[in-house]
Amino acid sequence: MNRTLNPRAALTPSLIIIVCFLTVCPVVMLIFGSFSEGLGAFGSFTLDKYTQAYTDPAFAGIIVNTAIFTIGSAFVATGLALFLAYLNTRTNIPFKSLFRILSIIPMMIPHILFSVSWVLLLNPSNGMINLFLQKIFSLEGSPFNIYTLQGMILVEGLLDLPIAYLILAPAMASFDVSFEESSKVCGASNLRTLTKVTLPVLRPAILASFILVIVRSLASFAVPSVIGMPGRIYVLSTHIYRIIATGFAADYGMAAAVGMSALAASITLIYLYRYLTSESEKYVTISSRGYKPSVVDLKNAKYPLFGIVGILSFVLIVMPVLVLLYISLVPYTMVPSAKAFSMMSWKHWVEVISDPISLLSLRNSVFLGIVGASLGVTLSVFVAYVIVKIRTRASGFLESLSFLSFSFPGIVVGVGFMWFFVKTPLYATIWALLIGYIATYLPYGIRPLTSAFVQIHSHLEESSRVCGGGILYTLRRIIIPLLIPGVVSGWILMATMFVRELTLSVVLSRPGTEVLAVQIFRFAEDGLWGQLSALGIMMIFISTTLVVIASLIGARLTKVETVSQ
Amino acid sequence: MGISIKGLNKDYFSEGKRIRALADVDLTIPANQIFTLLGPSGCGKTTLLRCIVGLETPDSGEIAIGEETVWSKEKGIFVPPEKRGLNMVFQTYAIWPHMNVFDNVAYPLQTRKESKEDITRKVKKTLRFVQLEGFENRPATKLSGGQQQRVALARALVAEPKVILFDEPLSNLDAKLREETRKELRDFLTELKITAVYVTHDRVEALALSDSIAVMKDGHIMEIGTPKKIYFNSDHRFVADFIGRANLIEGKVRVVEDSYAIIDSSIGAITCPRSPDTSPGNTVSVCIRPEFIKVMEKDTRESRNIFRGRVDSLVFVGEVYEGEIIIADTHLFIRIEPTLTIRAGEEITLFLDPDHCFVLSK
Repeated sequence: MNRTLNPRAALTPSLIIIVCFLTVCPVVMLIFGSFSEGLGAFGSFTLDKYTQAYTDPAFAGIIVNTAIFTIGSAFVATGLALFLAYLNTRTNIPFKSLFRILSIIPMMIPHILFSVSWVLLLNPSNGMINLFLQKIFSLEGSPFNIYTLQGMILVEGLLDLPIAYLILAPAMASFDVSFEESSKVCGASNLRTLTKVTLPVLRPAILASFILVIVRSLASFAVPSVIGMPGRIYVLSTHIYRIIATGFAADYGMAAAVGMSALAASITLIYLYRYLTSESEKYVTISSRGYKPSVVDLKNAKYPLFGIVGILSFVLIVMPVLVLLYISLVPYTMVPSAKAFSMMSWKHWVEVISDPISLLSLRNSVFLGIVGASLGVTLSVFVAYVIVKIRTRASGFLESLSFLSFSFPGIVVGVGFMWFFVKTPLYATIWALLIGYIATYLPYGIRPLTSAFVQIHSHLEESSRVCGGGILYTLRRIIIPLLIPGVVSGWILMATMFVRELTLSVVLSRPGTEVLAVQIFRFAEDGLWGQLSALGIMMIFISTTLVVIASLIGARLTKVETVSQ
Repeated sequence: MGISIKGLNKDYFSEGKRIRALADVDLTIPANQIFTLLGPSGCGKTTLLRCIVGLETPDSGEIAIGEETVWSKEKGIFVPPEKRGLNMVFQTYAIWPHMNVFDNVAYPLQTRKESKEDITRKVKKTLRFVQLEGFENRPATKLSGGQQQRVALARALVAEPKVILFDEPLSNLDAKLREETRKELRDFLTELKITAVYVTHDRVEALALSDSIAVMKDGHIMEIGTPKKIYFNSDHRFVADFIGRANLIEGKVRVVEDSYAIIDSSIGAITCPRSPDTSPGNTVSVCIRPEFIKVMEKDTRESRNIFRGRVDSLVFVGEVYEGEIIIADTHLFIRIEPTLTIRAGEEITLFLDPDHCFVLSK
């Protein structure tokens, strides 16, 4: 008699336990931590930390700053994204392929480097644009100061533009043109149609993008730390950082207490976002008949508008890299000139390569990128499999659980993990960072894999079972080969995220476990712009190399599978 | 190898509602037959098939393939699909897009770790059998629908399973190809002497392919029988109606004479063969298929089952006219030869062949 335990049944609970550990554990520890006296006195209940955190007279100012910063960024990002999405999907603007690049590439540039490049251009003491304008117009002071709320909003808005674009462009492209056509038939002009019909119909998508940008900027640490802190403008994330990283004693209890409000705000917003996206699916329907959206002829405005897009692409993609490359080569910040070019040298690069901590951070980040992404993707494969293929209530729970970390601000998760790791031998090891990374960025691995699993019809898997392949054999011969494209993009996303990770790392990284972004952040704090730029370029190079290698391996594996006999 | 199913139950929960996919199904599928599960969508036929193959677990009951119990709630037995020794052809064919034809067909042998020579030999033989010789190295996705269907069949046959299951394998083919493939499939299966369980909602397919048909509705098996029994002499009103166009007339048995019963109905007295249900006084349904209703000359010599009716509508559909006739407020559906010249609104004489008027028992 054949008695077999169904291994499928065991898969879901074990994954729930793993993911629960990764996502719920830091939150639980955060809650406990916020009621504890300090890292050493875990468990002794106290409300002191809350009183201390929320009666701080500076706290109200921080909340106001945070609100202005996040909402401002949401306006900048969503506004620009709407403009670009409309131009791309609904007009006859030339070079449309540029838009795709524009929406993907900025994600490849680490936020900290992007922020730094803006500091290098617009800081009041020696920002290159400021120096240049002072020289030309013989001004007394600097015309621009990046170290302001406006500066933060501008940079954060540009950084979040891709995410807003990725929400708005599909909504705009798939929306039923008959709404617009009927408006035009009624005699409305293009502009009137846009404002009275197109935008209102897209309202849920616009709101969704708006909210997502708020969540992202609430979690953002790069911009508030590199641009806000020098100007003494604190938002929630930098406030938490200040509590644990400066002063005489790091107060993880108070950090946890402050973190609770950031966490609560984030979770609320994500719920709102989910609600809106389910609403927007009701609104914006893709009709099954193949139609082509009518294209608005831009006539004379075509090239001027394209010029704006061109400038945006330059600012988003080319400029940060150029600025860093230039600064890494000149001895100190100066406006590009013949003199500057004559003084160029590899000095900063040599300094970085001979700096043991920079080298260690390089090694750690490469390790975390490769090993972390590989482990993360492996876990994502199983989770995505359960979410898509085993549709039970438990798998639905697993799905919510694994996307939970999407709404957690990195620095808050970091504080939560700190409370956890300090009790374990993992504390101050690279494995602490690895676990934290995977927990925080799990959705990035799961997303591409769930879409890959959705494309694999369940019959493909079932027929393998019926043909005599066990669950593991089926996984190896059918599911994994078909998943390789999804695996590759999940791996690329995770690896690039890990190589540049800053927010979580500033909390968890300890002497010996420095990583690239933290080292860059230290350089920024010390104003060592030349070395920072050299290390930053190396960071971009490493990310790009990992992406190229992963794509090549992916292409190779898929090819082997089709030719093999 | 036969299959025996006892007391199988399976419920689904959909949008908070409980749906009975299988309700106490008892069924014995004899060995080496083509056995069809026929029914409208949502009747539980595919669920039953998937329970047999092991892709779904019933809530209670027992399934045995041959002598081996492969599922039993009570005894705690669950043999996973890969160990049940059967194979299946899926509605979508489930051809693996990342493999060529050879690898697709060789897969069941590879799972059993057979030697390379054996695999090559068996795959070649099977591909010849399904007339796909020389297609080994083609990418499986580059084949036509009919060819993919045959790859799926070859894959199901190659390991010589005890039982082969078909889940609407022809429904993705176009009408002409479907007819050809149906004939081929019948030939293949008869030649192989294999137990085949075939799921379809297409009554013509069921009638043409099967040795036995089980008609299902709402998780119940309504009736099991040979195609002829199901078509000409079904017991259930639902089955009679589902298996082909049927005119169902309510009536009351007046008298039984020799081998015939006479039934009073809204259109008049109908003579039909006697059956266990035709005791005088019983309320019954009489079923007559459109093809057994004939248009007669007014002064026909036939004395039984002659009715006068008015042509309500007449539609030319190619090989026949499909017409609706009204006799005393009752609508009858008929098929008449296109050569007859009648028009809508005319009064005509109809003859209901008494040997093909059958009484439904349920």
